[in-house]
Parts: sequence; structure tokens; C-alpha cells
Amino acid sequence: MGAVNPYAEAVDHGPVRFLHRLNPLSKLFAPLPAMVLVILTRDVGTPLTFILLAMVLLLIGAHLDGRLALMLFVALPLAVAFLSLSFGIWTDRERVPVGDDVFSLGDYAFTTAMWLAGLGTALRLGAVLVLGLVAGATSTGAELVRSLVQQLRVPYRIGYTALAAFRFVPRFGHELEVIRSAHRVRGMIGGRGPVAGARRYLGYVVPLLAGAIRHAERIALAMDARAFGAHPTRTERHIVRFRARDWVFMALFWAVTAALFVLVPRLE
Amino acid sequence: MIELDRVRIRHEGAQAWTPDGVSFAIAPGEVVLLLGPSGSGKSTLALALNGLIPHEVPAELAGTVTVDGELTTDRSVAQLSEHVGMVFQDPDSQLVTGTLLDEVCFGPENLLVPLPEVLARAERALRRVGLWERRGDNPDLLSGGGRQRLAIACALALESPLIVLDEPTANLDPAGIDEVYAALAEVVAGGERSILLVEHNLDAAIDLVDRVVVIDREGRVAVDGTVDAVLREGTDALAALGVWIPVATMAALRLRAAGVRLDPLPLTPRELAAALDAVELPAPPPIRAYADAPTDAVISVDSLTITRRTTRILTDVSLEVARGELLAIVGVNGAGKTTLLQAIAGVVAPPRGRISTAGLDPARADARTLARHVGFVFQNPEHQFIRHTVAEELAHGLELQHLPADVIAARVDGMLDRFGLAHLRDVHPFLLSGGQKRRLSVGTALIAGAPVLALDEPTFGQDRERAAELLDILTQLNAEGTTVLIITHNLQLVAEHATSVAVMRGGRLLAQHPTALALRGNLLEEAGLRHPPLGQAMRALTRHDAWRGISRLRDLP
Repeated sequence: MGAVNPYAEAVDHGPVRFLHRLNPLSKLFAPLPAMVLVILTRDVGTPLTFILLAMVLLLIGAHLDGRLALMLFVALPLAVAFLSLSFGIWTDRERVPVGDDVFSLGDYAFTTAMWLAGLGTALRLGAVLVLGLVAGATSTGAELVRSLVQQLRVPYRIGYTALAAFRFVPRFGHELEVIRSAHRVRGMIGGRGPVAGARRYLGYVVPLLAGAIRHAERIALAMDARAFGAHPTRTERHIVRFRARDWVFMALFWAVTAALFVLVPRLE
Repeated sequence: MIELDRVRIRHEGAQAWTPDGVSFAIAPGEVVLLLGPSGSGKSTLALALNGLIPHEVPAELAGTVTVDGELTTDRSVAQLSEHVGMVFQDPDSQLVTGTLLDEVCFGPENLLVPLPEVLARAERALRRVGLWERRGDNPDLLSGGGRQRLAIACALALESPLIVLDEPTANLDPAGIDEVYAALAEVVAGGERSILLVEHNLDAAIDLVDRVVVIDREGRVAVDGTVDAVLREGTDALAALGVWIPVATMAALRLRAAGVRLDPLPLTPRELAAALDAVELPAPPPIRAYADAPTDAVISVDSLTITRRTTRILTDVSLEVARGELLAIVGVNGAGKTTLLQAIAGVVAPPRGRISTAGLDPARADARTLARHVGFVFQNPEHQFIRHTVAEELAHGLELQHLPADVIAARVDGMLDRFGLAHLRDVHPFLLSGGQKRRLSVGTALIAGAPVLALDEPTFGQDRERAAELLDILTQLNAEGTTVLIITHNLQLVAEHATSVAVMRGGRLLAQHPTALALRGNLLEEAGLRHPPLGQAMRALTRHDAWRGISRLRDLP
């Protein structure tokens, strides 16, 4: 089965894992100012602070399965470390302060200042990702669509159509697999290299598209036949609330964001 | 309830009106079966009953469809959905949510039904089709039959007095067909719904039906009457119209020609068995044996085991196929049929040294060489089309072999003629009709001169007429010396056409026998399959022991 089920119902993990009890929109909007600040800063301290904040939040408030924990606490630091080097190497030495050489190769010298600049970029990327996970790791697709419809008044036709479209994904994956083996059988090898590869993929597009359009038309008829879009609203079986705790969470998050931004040293 | 008056429908861009002037009405509680040959417009007509035509599908509607006293043209599809529920052919393209419960609630929610009532309806509908216990599951976890039952529950939850089902079992395996008809029988037993059923599979449907409406090839009503009047007394007329007749009835007609009168004509295997038990029968003709036992194996598989990721799919499968055989591979879904066939044809590389196909090890051969030895036909012909015209499509395999242009041209012309595609040579393959696409895909698999042809469920989702047409082509190829391997769920076709049958279950080969032998014992039951209709009837005989092994029409006198 696929890794993520976009239709999974929200599971309650108790009062400590409080993130699961919040509205997905509050979890989406609370870290937004922090994300913007992180993107706009150029230092190391700010993104590092917000990465730690989000990690602590997830560690306490979210039910993390092994895969996610591994990604958050092992893969992410490794990726940041690796990216700090590769971004650092691309940094223009003229534009950063003079620093000590870490290593040098002939004319080329890699300085601490270059590495710090690279680290800043890598940390900013990591911070945006982890802040996004505050909502991403603790809410389901269905929940998000429901609160978009119920709180933000997004037309339900758009929201539920998007949700229905999730069903297409595994289907197309399977269909692509079949088309690939069908073409291989016909002798569509066409040599190696990117050009032949691109041409091969182009050949998959027509049958995939033909199947997709037919499938979408049928789905649309089936939805129409069950009165989809009959009225401006529909009965909501799952009421998603935006409670006081959501306001409190957002306000606290924003306050902490402001405080950290002012108090934490820039570390440049 | 619903009334059709001189309904004619023409799809955008089409010349002909199909249906062309259909009038009939359905009374409350009535179950009506709509029959007709391919292309007579049955499915099109079904789309007009809940207003999808003309509101959503680009087609022109003449005449009137009146639902509960109002014209469909005056109301929206959404409004009509409270009067007419719809179940389509493909179980996969009518599901839109993530759980069974959400799915059934979807319609009533759209209609702004109050919440407690939505839940009450959902529970009633799911219990009716026996899926209430699984309400929290993702529909993907259900079998094809289960998903189609879910679609019926969704139609029930709309609480519409009429439910229209358009070939609801065409995409299902035999177990799924039984499931769906058991669920439908429950609905009919409730007595409060009218049903219009478009269905080719009369063997399954006949017990539920009150009335039969038959449309002819021109799209006009040819016959309208009770099951007895239309199917029993009007059988000859139906056959002349090209409507598929139940196997039991065909058998009875054949026996009648041989002097055995069965009156009234039986429609189901059960009726046929009872009718035969009630008369005296002559000794049956000896079952015609097939050509001599296999001599030179063109395919041999030696204890093949295939594991994907951590799942064992095939376990220790050994089989031999002799030159000139037509081997049917049968089994329930998940038995490993497709994996075996794909390994034999090298579609998915098998382990080395286990398989020999026309002298090649498909694990080592490159695609080009393989194409000269074995052709593979996929379930959906569109998947394997790679060129822009029918002629190029056929030439492709030969161009890969670097043959001279005049040889290619001659062979392409020959193939076009043989499959009746000569007038379509410059048409894009995707613009062909379903039957033409199927013939083209067989042609492309054969043109490189492959002595072995493998087909994976080529009759899936096709009507009887097309399925029979394909099997006729295969039988003819087979007679000319091509070895054919086919996966199919249609066991009557297997009985009529295959020379031998490989029966699979749970990744293992249960047995491989000549067809007559394979159909005689309890092998099919062991594999979770059901006997084809004629075999069912003959096995149910209490007298006439000599007749009990018969499962093919041609073995009747």
C-alpha cells in the first residue's frame, strides 16, 4: 500500500500530544511569520533557533512514528551539514568577511566565513521545512480540506474535488508502470542517454493522458449522479472547529516568534 | 415512475441516432432488464434516465424522459439524483472519498439531508449490501465485487425510487459477479425500488428480472415483455437480433435440433438440469478428443519461484506447453496468473535458467529478439500503441528487425487485410473502436513472426460479442500453428476454445490438464472458481450419468 493515506481520519494521541487536537489552519498560520523571518534573515542563529523551537514542539506535541523521527533528528541534521558545505563552496569569497582557511586547494581556499554563509542557507531551508511539519506531521488531508471549506469558506466543490483527485495518484502510478512494460515489450528501447529517455517518456504521455481524461470524465459523471454541487453548501458530518485553544496557540507562537527574534543573538 | 417517449439520442459528432425512438415505462417496484447488441445505445439510454444526457454529456436528446411527472430537461442532474440512482460499469471510477462510510454519505450530504438522517441512510444502505462492518476501511481494500456493492449502497443511500445499473458486473471476476447479484437480490427483495439493469450476463441476472426490453441494432425497441414471453418464446428472434442468449438456452436449442424437446425452454443451468432430468435422453456422443498428446514443448517452465519485495508471488511452478496448444490460465484474482504469463513472455525479467520460451530464456534475451519469439497482448490495447497510424503501428516490430522496406510493406498489408483494418491504415490507433484496437494489438504482437502469443485478460470489460470475436481469431491462429496462452475469467469461452487449462491458486499451479479433463473433476472448485454454465447444469443432473462430464456446447448431440 502507499505510504501516506490522505484520507486517514485524525487520531487523538492524548492531551500531551496537543498538536493533533488543534485545527490544521492554526498550525499552518502560527509558524507563518517565523517562516517569513527566517527567509529574510542572513544569519545562522535565527534559523537555528526556529529549528530547535519546532523540533521541541514536535517532540512534545506530536505523535512521531519511527520514520518521521528518523527524518527529523537524523536525516535533517545530516542534510543541513552536507548542504552547508555545498552551498559554502558556491559562495563568492569576495562577498563574505575574511575568515580562517578550513582547507585550500591550489588557489582556491574554503574559509570559515564561506562555510558559515553556506550553513545559514542550509539552516534556512531546514527551518522552513521543520516549521511546515508542525502542521504537516499532525494533520490529515481530509482535515485540512474540511477546515479550508468550513473556516476559510473555500468553495466545497474545489476542496472535495481536490480530495477526490488524491485517488488518481496511485492509479496513475500503476497505469504508468503497465504502459512502461507494454512499451518495453514492443521494443521501445531506443538507446541510452537523456534524449532517448525523454523521448521514451513522451511516448507514455499519450496513453496515460487518454486514460486519465476518460477516468476523470467517468468520475465527474459519477459525482454528478450523486448530486455533487447541487447546493451552495452540503451537510457536514465532520465539524472542524476553530476553538479558543487555536487562537491561544497562534498568539503564543507569534509572541514566542517575536521574542526569540529580538532576543536571540544573530551569530554572523 | 419513469416514462420514455420516442427517445432518440445522438452523440456530438456522430451521424446515427442510437437509441432511435425508444418508448417504455417502468412501474414502481418493477425490475427491467435492457438487452441489445453492441452499439444499440443501451448505455447511452441509461445516461439519459438521470439527466446526464443532455445536461452533462455532449449529446442531443429528442423525445422525452419523464421522471415522477417532470421532464428531465426541466430539472438538474442533482435534483434528478433523488429520483434515479446510478451504478456504472467500472467500480474504480465512481469512488471519490477515503472510507466506505464517507462514500455512502457523499450523496445525501450533497443533497443537504440532515445529519442524523444521513447516518441512518448510510447504515441502512451498507447493511443491505453487507458492508456495514467495514465502514471505516478505505474502498481500495475491497475486492472489485466489494467496490461494486459499495456503489450500489451509494445509490441506495440517495433513496431514489429507481436505480439504474449499467453493466455492473462487466469488470468483475466470477466471485465478484456472484457477490453483486447476491446484494442486488437483497435490494429486489426489499420490493420498494424499481431497477433498470443493462447486462449481458443473463445467467446471473435472470432470476431477478420481471420484464425484458430488447433494443435492436438500429436502436429501436424490438421486444418488450415478460421474461417468459421474450426469452423463452422469442429466443429465435433474439438470436437473429444478435443478442447474447443464455448458455443453458443455447444448449436446449441445440438439443431440440437433435430431437430432444425441452418445454418450456430453460434459461438457467438449474432449469436446464431439471428439464433434462425430466426427459429420456439418448447416449451422448463420445466427447471429441483433441489432437494427440503434446509432443514437442515450445514453452517449458521449471520450478519457477518469484518473490517481489518480500511477497512470494509464484511458488515452484512447473509447466510445459506443446506447440500448437491454446492454453487457458485460470484462477481467482491474486492467484499469480499475470506474473506467470509475464515471466514466460519476458515482460518482467524472470530468474535465469527457469524458463524456455520458443528456445529462448526470456531472462537473458533482449526485447528485440524476444519480440520475434513471443508476442504479448495487454489487457488495455491502448497501453501498447506507440506510433501514429495503424500501418506504422504494425510496421514498428518489423522496422526494429531492420527488414527491407518492401518486405515490411507486404507483411503490413497482409496483416491489415487479415484483421479487417485495411480501410483504417492511416487512422491514429487511439481513434479505433474497441474491437478494432483489440485486433490491432493482436496484429502487432504477431507481425514479427512470433510463434507464441500471450494474452492477459483480453476479454476483461468487453461484451460477449467482442469476447467471442477475439476467441474466434485466436482459435483460427491456433489452427494455423500459433501457440496461444490466455488468461481469462470467462470459463465458458475456456471450455469452448482452449485445448488445455492451467489452474492456479495462491501462487501455485494446481494442475495442467486437457480442457475436458480439467473441467470434469473438482479442480475448479479447489481453485475457488465456478464451473461454466453448461458444466454447472450437467453436473447437477441426477439421472443421465453419461451426460455429466459435458461442459462444451459442441459435445452435445
